[in-house]
Amino acid sequence: MSAVALAIALLVAGGLFARRALLLFRIVRAGAPSNRFGEIPDRARAEAVVVVGQSKLLQRLGPGLMHAVIFWGFLVLFPTIVIAMIGAVDPHATLPWLGAQGWYATLVDAFAVLVLAGVIAAFYIRKVQRPARFKGSHLGEADVILAWIAGIVISLLAWHSSQIALGLNDYPREWAPVSNLLAHTLSGSWVSILERVAVWTHVLLILGFLVYLPYSKHLHILVAAVNVFFTRTRARGRLEPVDFEKPEAEVRLGAATASDLTWKQILDTMSCTECGRCQDACPAYNTGKELSPKLLIMALRDQVRAQSDKPLVPNAVTDNVVWDCVTCGACIQECPVGIEHIDHIVDLRRNLVMLESRFPEEAGTMLRDVDRASNPWGKAPSDRTSWAEGLGVRVLQPGEAPPDVLLWVGCAPAFDERARQGAISTAKLLLAAGVDFAILGPRESCTGDPARRMGDEYTYQRLAKDNVATLNASKVTKIVTTCPHCFNTIGNEYPDFGGRYEVVHHTEFLAELVRDGKLQPVAGDRTITYHDSCYLARHNDVIGAPRELAAASGKTVEMARHGKRTFCCGAGGARMWMEERGKPINEERVREAASTGADTLAVGCPFCTVMLDDGVRNTGTKLQVIDLASLLSEAVERKRAQGSAT
Amino acid sequence: MSVLVLMEEGDPSQQALTLARAFGDPLHAVRMEAASPFAPDAVAAILQRAADDLAATAVFAAGTDRGNDVMARLAARMDLPFAANCVEATLGDPVVVVRSRWGGSLLETANLHSPRALITVQPHAVRVSDGPPPIDVDVKPYLETLEPADRLVQVEEHVAPPGGGVSLAEAKVVVSGGRGVGSKEGFAIIEELAGLLGARVGCSRVVTSAGWRPHADQVGQTGTKISPDLYIACGISGATQHMAGCKGAKRILAINSDPEAPIMSLADYAVVGDLKEVVPAISAEIKKLR
Repeated sequence: MSAVALAIALLVAGGLFARRALLLFRIVRAGAPSNRFGEIPDRARAEAVVVVGQSKLLQRLGPGLMHAVIFWGFLVLFPTIVIAMIGAVDPHATLPWLGAQGWYATLVDAFAVLVLAGVIAAFYIRKVQRPARFKGSHLGEADVILAWIAGIVISLLAWHSSQIALGLNDYPREWAPVSNLLAHTLSGSWVSILERVAVWTHVLLILGFLVYLPYSKHLHILVAAVNVFFTRTRARGRLEPVDFEKPEAEVRLGAATASDLTWKQILDTMSCTECGRCQDACPAYNTGKELSPKLLIMALRDQVRAQSDKPLVPNAVTDNVVWDCVTCGACIQECPVGIEHIDHIVDLRRNLVMLESRFPEEAGTMLRDVDRASNPWGKAPSDRTSWAEGLGVRVLQPGEAPPDVLLWVGCAPAFDERARQGAISTAKLLLAAGVDFAILGPRESCTGDPARRMGDEYTYQRLAKDNVATLNASKVTKIVTTCPHCFNTIGNEYPDFGGRYEVVHHTEFLAELVRDGKLQPVAGDRTITYHDSCYLARHNDVIGAPRELAAASGKTVEMARHGKRTFCCGAGGARMWMEERGKPINEERVREAASTGADTLAVGCPFCTVMLDDGVRNTGTKLQVIDLASLLSEAVERKRAQGSAT
Repeated sequence: MSVLVLMEEGDPSQQALTLARAFGDPLHAVRMEAASPFAPDAVAAILQRAADDLAATAVFAAGTDRGNDVMARLAARMDLPFAANCVEATLGDPVVVVRSRWGGSLLETANLHSPRALITVQPHAVRVSDGPPPIDVDVKPYLETLEPADRLVQVEEHVAPPGGGVSLAEAKVVVSGGRGVGSKEGFAIIEELAGLLGARVGCSRVVTSAGWRPHADQVGQTGTKISPDLYIACGISGATQHMAGCKGAKRILAINSDPEAPIMSLADYAVVGDLKEVVPAISAEIKKLR
């Protein structure tokens, strides 16, 4: 009788679940292709660290621990589903071996309590703390799910304790201290009824949960682990190139409708739990822009689920949302389920720019100048070396032997008065350390990064191919650059176009010269706080070397948001060439820097230099914005002065 | 050897006509208004048929937005090379052109191998010479053969920019204020000077960010690109973003209290001093002269 009831329940629940799961699977399968099947060992590692180790969640300790105990509880308690089903059919039977293990009974007891504590903590966070990151999330749904989980665990404890009270336990009762303690409070004829009610409640709650899952945002229980497995492994700063060689009808120019999204992007939308960690870290959202990375993914999910053929912009998100993004990747860094928001933003931009020619008007000048003059300000290419006048820097001529190191200058240092200081200091230090280096001079052109982050893949690929041709013809093997955007583009994206070089950021190269004793700095009395550039720290893991240089130049203090969890200056994603609405991001960051009590705001990026210097002027803050190379140069001078004094 | 010229209102077409005269005789003209409302493909179709019927050896147009738009479409239709924004063109085989590139910072000499030279002339780069006016082509028969596809792209609506008057982009004199102006009210002296000079008021990005002036007044990379005869920059440091918007200015007068500000080395005339003293003093002098 019980067996028949269980079989019917299993069939109904399994059937409903399978029908929905199959539909979702078909939707994912119908997505555009994305190659995410290589590098299996790296993917396994991500799975171990991010999913099993809960590393992303634990970036926020309180909520992270809450989630981790519930998640680990699910793993530990998983076999109890089978045990309970066996118990529901025959109270005297259990799962062979495991069902009779004392240590397992201890684990189950412990995690049942921990999961309950986790659920209480979750309710405390949601009802008492009410963090702003939940703004826009489906809060009622979360309450239902938490109550459901509590129900599952409470019914489990009730079943175990009534089993013990009736002597039906297969494991030694003292191994399950909590259930044992509860069992002492149970006596009377109704306990055998409680045992039946509890086990059936437990089984039905679990089966009900299974059916509810694929209709709710809690689908992440099933999908997140898969999504994390398919995230980017290496080169997080790399964008997938558009293949223009394909027949015209097959070229994927970003995403116009939900059906243009790749299967990974669709999986992203299904993984989102609306936790809002991305929104909390997003520089655009935090300064009153329209973009919330969470609401973006939720809006795309709604379009995917509705299998809508309407344009994503403006039906899912407005144009402003698409253009607010600085591509800093803070959202991706925070996201515990492996959502890669930048891919979505860039695909929306690609479609708007390449098919509809729709983008903020003021950015048109940059796109035109990058295309015509190979730099975003439309300056004469012949002026590219003017920053280096009088320094004695070698300009590599066609046909000449390649230097040990090519200094890739970048447009901002070449043409912007403030940004060039870092390049000048770098060149001076390289000369002082006796490094064999040269620059390309007028043969260098924009890497294409701003055009690419705007979505103008045509212009980007033309520039990339031109630059790769120049570099390959010059037989360049090692490149040092002061610009993290050039660093990311040449290092991570040019390999797609046949350009393979060892690319290092100037802070890494200079730190190595200091370690080798070729540069000998003496720290001064500055108090330095270092601002991590997104494309350096977050996208490329360059975190230690800049700090070595800062420490070699003075006393250092950290901002709250630093390293991989840095806060953008506001210039990334081609925002440098767009007008900003709302509160300026650069001023927000400058205020944070000033609050450390530092007198020096060190940077390793020409765009950060300009943005933060503007921020300092606009806020009237007493901070000097200076490139790490200039700080090091100062420190090396100090040593020289000491040397001549003694 | 007949030559065809695409004519529109304004000096640039006269400059195109000047270069075209050296290419043959008689000169024929198709008016930009031939297709009204403006539809670039329709004008290109008319030009193509007229050039075929006249056996024109060259087609000229002004290097304006519309001129380049139409000529690019004509080149695509005829599958011929097209030289845009030329400042010189010499008849021969090949035709030799000098083109303005990199925003005017580079002059490129190029050979144009083509049975029919398609050339646009960089506006304001050629001295206009007098000559007989071109013969207007009768476009009626061509208009009747236009296909619906030729009208796919056409002007639907004209929207006037708010404010009216001479736009910032076209003003002959622009007086701009930057961070140094200090406040919204501080712009009174800038406005006074602009009023006396019949100039438009501009500003830098900082000023619009601070909400002292509307975005429409912003000169710069992400604002309006201007090319006045005289640009007076008051309290503006001259960041790259700003200079990208005023590089077309013929003369720059910078007033800044910081002699090290980048704009001081980029300006033709630099006054080191507090703009709050210098600007009213200039205004006072102008009033005295009147």
